[in-house]
Amino acid sequence: MSLFFGLALAAALQAPPPGILVERRLAESVPLRVGDTVRVRALASGATPRPFVVEGVFERPADPSRIARNEYEVRFHLPDLEEVLGTRDRVDRFAVVLSPGASPDSAARWIEGLAFGTRAYGSRALADRTSATFRVVSRFHRAIGIVTILASAIFLLCVMIIRVDERKRDMGMLRLVGVSRGTVFRSIVLEAIGITVAGSAAGAGLGIVIAQVVNAYYARYYDTTLRFALVTPRIVVLAALLGLGLGAVAGALAAWRVVNVPPQRLGER
Amino acid sequence: MSVISARGIVKEYPYGGDSVRALRGVDLEVGPGELVAVVGPSGCGKSSLLNVLAGIDPPTEGRVELLGRDLGALGEGERSRLRLREVGFIFQRFHLLSVLTAAENVEFPMAEAGVPKGERRARARELLEYVGLGHRVGHRPPHLSGGEQQRVAIARALANRPKLVFADEPTGELDRRTGDEIIALFERLNADGTTLVIVTHDTSVAGRTRRVVEMADGVVVRDGRAGG
Repeated sequence: MSLFFGLALAAALQAPPPGILVERRLAESVPLRVGDTVRVRALASGATPRPFVVEGVFERPADPSRIARNEYEVRFHLPDLEEVLGTRDRVDRFAVVLSPGASPDSAARWIEGLAFGTRAYGSRALADRTSATFRVVSRFHRAIGIVTILASAIFLLCVMIIRVDERKRDMGMLRLVGVSRGTVFRSIVLEAIGITVAGSAAGAGLGIVIAQVVNAYYARYYDTTLRFALVTPRIVVLAALLGLGLGAVAGALAAWRVVNVPPQRLGER
Repeated sequence: MSVISARGIVKEYPYGGDSVRALRGVDLEVGPGELVAVVGPSGCGKSSLLNVLAGIDPPTEGRVELLGRDLGALGEGERSRLRLREVGFIFQRFHLLSVLTAAENVEFPMAEAGVPKGERRARARELLEYVGLGHRVGHRPPHLSGGEQQRVAIARALANRPKLVFADEPTGELDRRTGDEIIALFERLNADGTTLVIVTHDTSVAGRTRRVVEMADGVVVRDGRAGG
């Protein structure tokens, strides 16, 4: 019996330190490699640091709510974490991955029934609770977008009126030689649509280039895979449709001014 | 049948709360194949008369028949179609579309009239040859001289084979020699059967037409037919 206890003690004394996983950014900044031994203690506990072996390096999922916090992440086995913290059977937060088809509501109710005071949220509800800031930012962006579109529409209308005014004599000549009001009207509207669609295409192209520059800069700055600016197909289609609509309206307003002036007066300054 | 028949034409324009009478009872008959110059000092009503005769501006009083059609009975669309298909216009400042080539400028009225592409290409080239610009079909107006631009404008006026051509101060922007060439072109055009009404204050132009209608203060003061 004493021999057995002696062997067990020797094995315990010679057992390698437990393993941990460290986040890539931490591994690069220290630097740490797999197989390195580190000594860890909880700041609040005041306990003696314990050795751990780096068993792996992981990439933390990109999370916009944590991007500005300069935190590093280390993953322990749960018993080791309890040892380090000096507290047992205590968990602040944990995530549960459900099997495909499992009901998140049923799982949440079951978990809440396990321990009094536990609150369980589905991922969608949790995202709603934690993304209030982003919703405000998104509304702010939408407001900027609407103001930009309104300003662009006014600018476009002014451009079309100036362009048409510059060519009033030509328009007058066309009407004098018998070109119908409809043809003059359509040509101006088509020109305006052409200008706005070309502008939308150029804007979308410029947006894609700028988004790539912005993303490259912040990816480097925050060392993240998050993308800060996106030009999606939906945005491109929306820009093209807005171009069509705004061009048609601006062209129609500019054309209306011309076709309602007698042709012989279009040559007057 | 007269090409133009105008009777008792009065034209008033609103001016402030009042009106200005530009034409005070003009009678004019122009027959087929005539070459008529309408002359007079600035403000005598020449351009107002041209606008009324061409159906651009309706008269305040009076009746105009153009190519046998009563302009007062036609809507604006019908008057536009009449101008497009049967009347040609030549302006003092040419009014060519600078983004189009000479040939495209000539083709434009034909395209509006629905002439097939192949036919209008051939006719545009033929007309530019007629006015002596066969070698300039692909040039844009900014690369043409004033005389050349006016020749392109004449070719454009002839695009839909009009029976009648109105020219408003056609030599006003040209030097004497170029103006003479343009008048020679008009004479050739008239000899080929086109009726021409030229509004001008250039006495040298008037001197080469067979009929001079002289205006002053909104009325015809002299209608000098050849030999008359």
